[in-house]
Amino acid sequence: MNPARRSLVFSLIVGGLLLWLGQGGSARAELRFPPPEFESDYVMPPGITTPPPRALAWEYVDLAVLAGTLGWAAWLVHRRRSRRGLATLSVFSLIYFGFYRQGCICPIGAPQNVAYGLFNPGYAIPLTVLLFFLVPLVFSLFTGRTFCAAVCPHGALQDLVLLKPVKVPAWLEQGLGTLPYLFLGGGLLFAATGVGFIICRYDPFVPLFRMTGSLFMLTLGGAFLVTSMFVGRPFCRFLCPYGALLRVGALFSKWRVRITPDYCTQCRLCEHSCPFGAIREPLAAPAHPAALAPDRRRLGWLLVALPLLMVGGAWVGRHLSVPAARVHPTVALAEQFLAPNKPAAAPGAPTPETRALARAELEAPTIIARAADIRRRLTTAGGWFGGWVGLVFGARLISLSLRTTRTDFEPDRGACFACGRCYLYCPNERVRRGLISPAEAAGLNANLAAAARNRI
Amino acid sequence: MTASHPGTHLAPAVPPPAAARSLTRTLVVVAVLCGLAVVTLLAIHWITRHDDPLKSPLLAALKEQLVAEPRNEALKEQIRALDLTLRRRHAWLLAVYGFGAWFLLVAAVMLVLMGKALARLHVTPSLPQPRPDAAERAADTARRARLLTFVVAALAAGGAGWLGLSARSVLPADPAGVEKLLAKLRGEEDATDLPSPAEYAANWPRFLGPTGNAFVPEAAFPLQFDPVGGTGVRWKTPVSAPGFSSPLIWSNRVFLSGGDVSNRVVLAFDLATGQPAWERPVMNVPGSPARPPEIPESTGFAASTMATDGRRVYVLFASGDLAALTFDGAPVWSKNLGVPHNPYGHATSLATWQGRLLVQFDQAEPEDNLSKLYAFDGASGRVLWQRNRPVGASWATPIIFDAAGKPQIGTLGGEWVIAYQAADGAELWRAKLLSGEITPSPIFVGGLFIAASPADRLFALRPDGTGDVTKSHLVWESDESVPDITSPASNGELVFTVLSHGVVTCYDLKDGKPVWEHELDFEVNATPAIAGNRVYLFGTKGRVAVLAAAREAKELARFDLGEGVFASPAMAHGVMVVRTVKNLFCVGPAAGARPEAKSP
Repeated sequence: MNPARRSLVFSLIVGGLLLWLGQGGSARAELRFPPPEFESDYVMPPGITTPPPRALAWEYVDLAVLAGTLGWAAWLVHRRRSRRGLATLSVFSLIYFGFYRQGCICPIGAPQNVAYGLFNPGYAIPLTVLLFFLVPLVFSLFTGRTFCAAVCPHGALQDLVLLKPVKVPAWLEQGLGTLPYLFLGGGLLFAATGVGFIICRYDPFVPLFRMTGSLFMLTLGGAFLVTSMFVGRPFCRFLCPYGALLRVGALFSKWRVRITPDYCTQCRLCEHSCPFGAIREPLAAPAHPAALAPDRRRLGWLLVALPLLMVGGAWVGRHLSVPAARVHPTVALAEQFLAPNKPAAAPGAPTPETRALARAELEAPTIIARAADIRRRLTTAGGWFGGWVGLVFGARLISLSLRTTRTDFEPDRGACFACGRCYLYCPNERVRRGLISPAEAAGLNANLAAAARNRI
Repeated sequence: MTASHPGTHLAPAVPPPAAARSLTRTLVVVAVLCGLAVVTLLAIHWITRHDDPLKSPLLAALKEQLVAEPRNEALKEQIRALDLTLRRRHAWLLAVYGFGAWFLLVAAVMLVLMGKALARLHVTPSLPQPRPDAAERAADTARRARLLTFVVAALAAGGAGWLGLSARSVLPADPAGVEKLLAKLRGEEDATDLPSPAEYAANWPRFLGPTGNAFVPEAAFPLQFDPVGGTGVRWKTPVSAPGFSSPLIWSNRVFLSGGDVSNRVVLAFDLATGQPAWERPVMNVPGSPARPPEIPESTGFAASTMATDGRRVYVLFASGDLAALTFDGAPVWSKNLGVPHNPYGHATSLATWQGRLLVQFDQAEPEDNLSKLYAFDGASGRVLWQRNRPVGASWATPIIFDAAGKPQIGTLGGEWVIAYQAADGAELWRAKLLSGEITPSPIFVGGLFIAASPADRLFALRPDGTGDVTKSHLVWESDESVPDITSPASNGELVFTVLSHGVVTCYDLKDGKPVWEHELDFEVNATPAIAGNRVYLFGTKGRVAVLAAAREAKELARFDLGEGVFASPAMAHGVMVVRTVKNLFCVGPAAGARPEAKSP
């Protein structure tokens, strides 16, 4: 059977299996009907738009699976160097952490729990959540972004649907590289002040995993999915807040991804192999030190401007407390309650809005006091967030002003998702796997060098 | 290089096999099906967006109608049937969405697998092409990236700055502003703006007067007066709206409420001349039922006497419409508390304390748990607090008094006398001493809380207890000639009551022993009014008797007004204002003999 026909048959088998499994999903959907409003002491069952809490033992099982898959991914990236193995592990991670666990608990949202726990004495962060946050970060210090390689369900989904990657210009990628840090800062701001977990609320893929959600979020998820077919990992590269932390950790990783298993022959066969634009070409130092003068001047100015950016950002951030606070339901209720033209309550036929206003009327001083406290906390936290934004932009401008030198083609430590796609592009890797002989590899290199000389 | 490793970029390109064309066709079909599924789901979502059982406008309208017609069984069945239909439709929608989600998932998986296979078949080998100097390329990339970063930063700063600086909030930004708002919400308004106790006592701001015991110590009203002939009457003016509520007097104004099924109004008159000052309809109150409830004519829509705190006047009608107006008649706020379930119609009058409006809203049966005591902010109508009451419908008016070092609200209803803390509505004490239909209002005089359980007992309590004080704080009780409709009145030494069939009884305040009893031989529904050393009793057919407020029974005068009186009179600024069935008249000395009233 030729590969095309094999792919078609495989698609039909998988599709049929999923459709058969999906009958249970339809039945489960009926449980989502909003229950009636009881006036007695009836306790509502847990909502099923978010996964119900699991027994603690199962949370530790999830943690063990996370650690196990991280270790396995690290072995596949650094020792086995197998793209196929990573793809298979990605499928498992997508099914387990994505569709089975429905994207919760996940390391992407865990920083919010940490921030909330640090600034709210009444909240004790569960150990499993803390470990979900820490374990991938610790791995990144040793093995790079192996979490992104084949463990994160978001990355796995985007990686698996990639069909025909379009190259994103490097300047665009680097220029938009600040967005994940801004999203991280915003997420921590809202979490620390108790306003909400916006990283989870606006996660585009979780509604797809749960096959339920608002029309807006489902549309957003669909848009990300379609984009992922042509732009490699758009969420990971331009939005993921946890990826921003992993990127920093990977910069200091003990072991880094290498395209070649031993030495680079400068054959350039791998330079277009990465769909995520993570491969960096060799870069020599300038011949004349005088050529560095403009860069040094620019760097100097940026270093001076950095604290100014932070102070300016802090000033702007403090003024965001009014619109930011409205995200919190208590503040929104307080403002609605104090609004001069709020709708009058109709005690005969209450709606959720009129009931909320009626409750606010009874507890007005408490609600107003809490709303004012939330606004006050957001003013302070907004200043920190603004300073963080200033730092991010300043640091990015500074990093873009630094010259680096490189002798080989190698993946960028922070940007490389360790997906393993580049391995087979390297002739030395093919020699390692026995796909070609060393003589063939040497002949290939010679032919490529000759072809390059002829074109020049 | 071999051709046995396609997709390695080291093998020459091979033309797609024939199966690839069928793969392509299948992929296109699946993609089209996906698109159709998405469009179908979106269309279903758009078409059925109003079929939410929680947000159905039709269901909400039917529920509103049910509030006005709580016993309409056909309407209840209609609501149940519509609710069931909407829930079934919602469950069907959920099933459709669930199936659609799984279909899309299956189709997406197939799309991806076939797409990948096609991509592998169409891969073209790429050989390294000549490129400009790497350093020059890197510098250009960095330059563009810096520019883009700067643009993003500028957009972020500009957007955030605009968002932050243009946002406005009704919530005060500064802590002082928040504290001021909280104080206002807790009812702690600027006390210097309230009338002084002396000013309050000099007017007639609520049912039965500032103290609630229908007594003005210094008054010189004529022994007889004739509204028809004009003898002893300063003025007489017709009242356009019917009602049984008593008038209020504040400064140079007389306020009155009246109304029927089609019209409810607040009226104001000049105290000196009786000329109408203004008439303000209280209609289209938010939440008011579309169809006015049926109220017995014996009570009417305006049985509850208004109240004023010296800043605004407040009115409550039997439809549940509650409103506040300025002294000039401008509306301040209004709301509907719901039509009270009251067999005779609501008649409990309003009361005020420290700029707050107190409303005792008893209704239905105790087990229905609908009776409440409200405290509204007088300026805004906002509920400051409310307390559920374990009683059914009642008609007595609460009394506010200072005892045991705190201001208290004394209420009667059902079987219970309950006192609440005026500041926050916390219950202070209660006593199980009532029975029957509680209509007479309590009074507080001589440090005693005095109330009547109709046709049962008249009793006095010490209001300095906590919890159930039924046995511990009862000072005296008497079961002789206990009033059934009218409230007791007292001059601080004696307590006067009158039964509806006209038996007047005088009790000693200290021990509750009857001092004398006197028969009037006419029906009385209005509480006795004590002016100086005289007790005025107004009959339902227009007969009036004046007795001495003394330890000996002595009838000083008896005359006829010409029309019936059901409302207790108001007495302030040296005059008595009486509401008859169709008129309002003022009794008092000549205009030059009484002090000029100040404008509000």
